[in-house]
Amino acid sequence: MPTKTRPVEKFAKTTAQCSVEAAAYGKCVVADYSSVHKDMCAKEFLRLKDCFLAASKKG
Amino acid sequence: MISLHTFRSGVPRRCLFAASTVRTYASQTAGNPMLEVFNRKTKHLQKDRAARNVEESRNVDYLKDEVAMRLCERLLDIKRDFPNVLDLGANSCNIARALTTPNLDTTAPEGVITPPLSKKISKITCADTSRALLHRDEDLDFNKEIDIHRDVIADLETLPYQPNTFDAVLSSLSIHWINDLPALLNQVNTILKPDCPFICAMFGGDTLFELRGSMQLADMERRGGVSPHVSPLADVKDVGSLLNRAGFKMLTVDVEDIVVEFPDTFALMQDLQSMGESNAIMHREAGPLSRDVLLANDAIYRALHKEEDAPGIPATFRMIYMIGWKEGKDQPQPLERGSGDVNLKDILGGGDFEKP
Repeated sequence: MPTKTRPVEKFAKTTAQCSVEAAAYGKCVVADYSSVHKDMCAKEFLRLKDCFLAASKKG
Repeated sequence: MISLHTFRSGVPRRCLFAASTVRTYASQTAGNPMLEVFNRKTKHLQKDRAARNVEESRNVDYLKDEVAMRLCERLLDIKRDFPNVLDLGANSCNIARALTTPNLDTTAPEGVITPPLSKKISKITCADTSRALLHRDEDLDFNKEIDIHRDVIADLETLPYQPNTFDAVLSSLSIHWINDLPALLNQVNTILKPDCPFICAMFGGDTLFELRGSMQLADMERRGGVSPHVSPLADVKDVGSLLNRAGFKMLTVDVEDIVVEFPDTFALMQDLQSMGESNAIMHREAGPLSRDVLLANDAIYRALHKEEDAPGIPATFRMIYMIGWKEGKDQPQPLERGSGDVNLKDILGGGDFEKP
């Protein structure tokens, strides 16, 4: 029987391919974490998400 | 309501009085209003569901087994036999397994084999709400070495035991899901025999603080608000007064941190789920976490807590161990205030607050 990959495992693997974008996003949020508001780092997040979507198509 | 009306209309008037003595609803009585924080039904389902995947569930027992071991090490200090022991919220009977482990005593000289603690215990009752989890390991070898009874109880907050029943009550990583902790501790105190100990380990205050924080930040940044993802937990400061209030004497409370390293936040959350420890707060959001928040959370967690060269991310579990004794005759008592006749200053020296 082929082993089943759980969706979250695939999600984790795909995320791992975008470590540069993730680091940029993380840095942006953490830089001012006492006053985080909605879409504070929208630009960085979109870049991370674009990378994630592209990686999930490949995989 | 509809069926009641049709029933009443067919009944002669005389009988109505008799029927009306049966109360059909209850009103809130004054006294002890209880705050429901956790959804017990959800917790029950999560535990059952997690335990049905036997292999996965056993794989993530590392934390519960470790804490059960450390809890049992505390039992070594009590030189006494325990004919009748209760394991409250037993999960998969991790305590029973730890009790049957030989050489638990790490202070014994090397080469000396110390017998397992189960030799001192005649009968252990393991009580939990989830049948699947409680009976998961009933075919394993350790069951033969200890007289173990598995009790599936409907609710961990109302214990179906008689007063003065047990020689010790143990509990490991369970009572952090209890809504009314003071009431439970009261019950534990009641079912213990006089001068018998309650030994317990629970998740406390700073457990998973990394995840709690990064989730809040991710929620704020992505959606503009926060929703509770990690349970509120009892603080070390509160535990002493909780035990005191329930009537326990000679309290010992101590704290231990266990830091586990995970490859990413998804592995951490997956393990929590397989442990049956996922979120069961009453007013949590229905449905799974949004993918955007998950993605953001992983990035923020790494940015905040990942060490430079570490391969993974740390997750802190803070364990609060507590020991309390039920009041009994001939129990050592603290001396009365002011009855000391030796000045500690004479023994320890110093003691002046004035600057030289």
